Amino acid sequence: MTAKKRPPTTICVASGKGGVGKTSLSVNLAYALVKSGSRVLLVDGDLGLANVDLLLGIPIKQTIRNLLDESGNPQDSLVFPIENLGILPATSGVPEMVTLGPDEQSRLNGFIEDLAVGFDFVILDTAAGIGPSVLWFNRQALYNIVVLTPDPTSITDAYALMKVMARQHPKNAFFTILNAVANEREGRKVYNNLQQVVSQFLSMELELLGTIPADPAVNRAVKAQTPFIQSEPECPAGMAVSTIAAKIEKWGK
Amino acid sequence: MNLLEEKQPDCPTDKNTCPLQDRIRRLEEKCKELEALSQVDALTGFFNYRYLMNALEQEMERTRRTGVPASLIMGDLDYFKRINDTYGHENGNLVLKTTAGIWRSNLRRIDIPCRYGGEEFVFILPGTRLPQAIQTAERLRRSLEKSPLSLDGKPIVLTGSFGVTGIVQDQDMTSGSIIETADQLVLRAKSNGRNRVCYDTYSSIAESTGVRDEEKNLLLGTDRPTKQKR
Ligand SMILES: Nc1ncnc2c1ncn2[C@@H]1O[C@H](COP(=O)(O)OP(=O)(O)OP(=O)(O)O)[C@@H](O)[C@H]1O
Ligand SMILES: [Mg+2]
Repeated sequence: MTAKKRPPTTICVASGKGGVGKTSLSVNLAYALVKSGSRVLLVDGDLGLANVDLLLGIPIKQTIRNLLDESGNPQDSLVFPIENLGILPATSGVPEMVTLGPDEQSRLNGFIEDLAVGFDFVILDTAAGIGPSVLWFNRQALYNIVVLTPDPTSITDAYALMKVMARQHPKNAFFTILNAVANEREGRKVYNNLQQVVSQFLSMELELLGTIPADPAVNRAVKAQTPFIQSEPECPAGMAVSTIAAKIEKWGK
Repeated sequence: MNLLEEKQPDCPTDKNTCPLQDRIRRLEEKCKELEALSQVDALTGFFNYRYLMNALEQEMERTRRTGVPASLIMGDLDYFKRINDTYGHENGNLVLKTTAGIWRSNLRRIDIPCRYGGEEFVFILPGTRLPQAIQTAERLRRSLEKSPLSLDGKPIVLTGSFGVTGIVQDQDMTSGSIIETADQLVLRAKSNGRNRVCYDTYSSIAESTGVRDEEKNLLLGTDRPTKQKR
């Protein structure tokens, strides 16, 4: 890996409500970016219920939790399922609503910064909710992607998350991905309402990165533990992810 | 069954031993026995579906009245079909029975363990908030994973996928919707790789972060009269 001069572009993926497709999108976006020539570090920031490793069926050596508890060598914990895609796994099956102490936060930050050297993008996949770790990961990122579905709870929770983030660390803009939509029109409609409320009440810009259709290929891929962008690149969700990845690629330029 | 609580009628002929009274007593005992049987799943000793639905309604009513939350865990054995196909139904039943035994010993006496059907189990946790219920589900998950079973001389590690959801004071909540939510969470646990616990993230974050009705209505487009047909 050759070190680049410019630091990597850090992107955080969050949602408020759980189960809306953050992990699935993070993984597939990472693969899409790698496919078009970028080097990507994917951080499993779901410290409570990690699942990036399971989505890919990769064995994990060392997790973020181990790193913080035992202070090993961060490089040892990176897993490379394919060339130019590094994954920093979290820990699995400990749903204790993990919080990071200030010490751990700054150490984790240091680890990620060290690991990120040489990558073009760092994608932070976060937990559901608006817990401290979710907000912390969002603060570390230059770009904040909020994933939501047309489900009313998902819409209001996504907005709640943005409201909390806007209060804590004002930024210029949020980026949204409308996932599991029946069609583009449904996605646009949800986005339009959201955009209006974000602009009116939070005085922030909201940009739609894209909509992704509800697609059985996504679940098929989950079961097969392989990204759909690899196994079925032509599936509707795959095409949508590729379009979004092309936009994100420009952030790194 | 009020019949059982009714006071014993006096012997009409005032005798010390009364065949009629004896008969009634025996019938009453039989009746109690049958009542217990009608609530229990024979294989696992857990409560059955019918009892579950009654108990759930009761817990919801308690929560509605007192505001004290309760929780519900749904647990599903992973790859149970495979076990049945590979080792036969006898062994499949043994697996269910063993699992039930392991889980029972990890619950409190006030918890209500039920067999929902097939390899699916539901636990009602009265007076229990979600975070605590998540810990319980995690305990159930771990206890099963840690107790490998020997089938046909082969050690088999059993695992389960769990969904945990809260029973709270909410007008829209029905027993059906609670079960449905738990079911969805189990599906998510399965699709995230099995042998894990998924839970409701406090059904609405929006409530706790002060998203106002004004914002909500605009977000959901509910401020204007809806044109939907009924
Ligand atoms: N576009 C889609 N079409 C159909 N199913 C989808 C789509 N996106 C995600 N799913 C399904 O939704 C489920 C949840 O996805 P995923 O685990 O990626 O969500 P998440 O937001 O990371 O969840 P969590 O909050 O638990 O981390 C998976 O079963 C996945 O297959
Ligand atoms: Mg996830």
